[in-house]
Amino acid sequence: MEISSLGKIRLLKDHTCDVVFSCKQDQCHKDTDRLWCGIRLMIGLVWLALFLPDPGWSQTEATSKIIRYREREVSSHYYETYEVKPRPYPVFVRGGIPQREAITLSPIAEKVRRRKYLADSHWGLKFYERLTCIRCHPRQARNLHKRRAKITCRQCHGPEPIAGLKHYYSKMNPRRRHAFVCAKCHEGANRSFASYVNHEPNPAAMSTRQSFPLLFYVFWMMAAIAVGTFAAFLPHAFMWGLREFLPDTYMSGLKKHFVKRRKQDDQD
Amino acid sequence: MTRIKRFTQAQRVFHLLLMLSFLTQATTGLARLYIETNWGRFLASLFGGYNKTLTIHWWVGLFMLALLGIHVLYVLIRIDWRRFPKSVYGPDSLLPRKEDLGQALQHVGWLLGIRQLPRFDRWGYWEKLDYLAVFWGICVLGGTGLILYNPVFSSRYMPGWVLNVLLWVHRIEAVLAIIHVSTIHFFIGHLRRHNFPMDLVMFEGSIDLEKVRHERPAWVERLEQNGNLHGTLAGSTSIALRVVYYVFGFSVIGCFIYLLINGLANITRLFG
Repeated sequence: MEISSLGKIRLLKDHTCDVVFSCKQDQCHKDTDRLWCGIRLMIGLVWLALFLPDPGWSQTEATSKIIRYREREVSSHYYETYEVKPRPYPVFVRGGIPQREAITLSPIAEKVRRRKYLADSHWGLKFYERLTCIRCHPRQARNLHKRRAKITCRQCHGPEPIAGLKHYYSKMNPRRRHAFVCAKCHEGANRSFASYVNHEPNPAAMSTRQSFPLLFYVFWMMAAIAVGTFAAFLPHAFMWGLREFLPDTYMSGLKKHFVKRRKQDDQD
Repeated sequence: MTRIKRFTQAQRVFHLLLMLSFLTQATTGLARLYIETNWGRFLASLFGGYNKTLTIHWWVGLFMLALLGIHVLYVLIRIDWRRFPKSVYGPDSLLPRKEDLGQALQHVGWLLGIRQLPRFDRWGYWEKLDYLAVFWGICVLGGTGLILYNPVFSSRYMPGWVLNVLLWVHRIEAVLAIIHVSTIHFFIGHLRRHNFPMDLVMFEGSIDLEKVRHERPAWVERLEQNGNLHGTLAGSTSIALRVVYYVFGFSVIGCFIYLLINGLANITRLFG
């Protein structure tokens, strides 16, 4: 039975069908055809896996990874209508965390990293009710929002239970932080704006080279310019001031002394 | 006392406006930076609180950028286009020349007592550096300041974390400018022996001819050879006006020294 110009179905003895593709030379063997079909199928699947977007990505606001901070991507504020649910994983099990973030960490660091994915990031902490945020996060308390606008931790991170930053439904999740947190004060905040690092690392610290390399290198470049300027011009100004107090006769006497001593050294 | 004209009225006005606007920016900027300290809050209270300080910082910053634009226009108008490009590389120009490098090295030699004092023309190498540094400073501070002025708008065209980097560039460049003006510029301009207690040339526009003969002999010789010396002679300023200049000048220097000392004194509280 012919099904198209490319091939026909052949009824086999065991009551199954087989598709035989026609070749120009009409000398193709059945096993070779199967092999090529399989290869084509595999190539197609690999191509799909590599180049087609993840079904979840396709439904996020940002349509481009490169140009994701254009005006058209300013938040619509209607998230629930089309937001993609997370893939099912038990939140307390390591398997739910991307492997690249869950490896090569010390046991304590891994514990902290895993907490970023919890619905209650402080779950299980002893005497948690009696602790303040600053007690465990002293460095996080030093940021421009707190220092200049007196914004408290809870105004951004919300009430208890405080979800981990990377928990899917957390309002601090980078996916919706701009709409649920930043836009409360910064009207029109977009996803790019929310990538501002509020809890900025110390730009001079070596650890910043890993976490925020551009900040680290720009800081040290600017520091080098400043230090270089002062290293060159402060001694210059000081010497100038000193030199104007010394009469030329003294300086010429000093010069003669040095010349004389050099001659003596040469003779010796 | 014979005096010779060194700065035009427009140049003096530019310097005055730059001085006042930079002082305002330094004060409001340090008030913001040190707002956690008592000193920072005191500075901010002079301008009516933190928010008003911020508003003044923005507007004066825009004024400085406009001043830079007007100055560039002024320079373009003042260029002798008939003799261009020779005119912009002449001894009256503030652009660096080959001779400046030689004079700088010779001057360092003089500071060390091993060379003669170089025969400076109208502008010394340190004055050219000071002048061009203002362009660099305003471009860096103004550029970063403009981007930080409206971060929501800026983040449409760049990632938000770039603002973290630009804020540090703004801070370090501003601190560099404040310290440079408070120490190097004031010391060389006013506090060294030959200018002590204050060099009023930028206020008066003219300078004593004998002093110029000593400090910038090449300039006077050039004017004499060209027969232009007589045309550049200027009258002396009245004593009352000189008193005003002294009071004003010392006030500005005092303000910068005050900012510098308190900035350094409170630096531990800033990071504490």
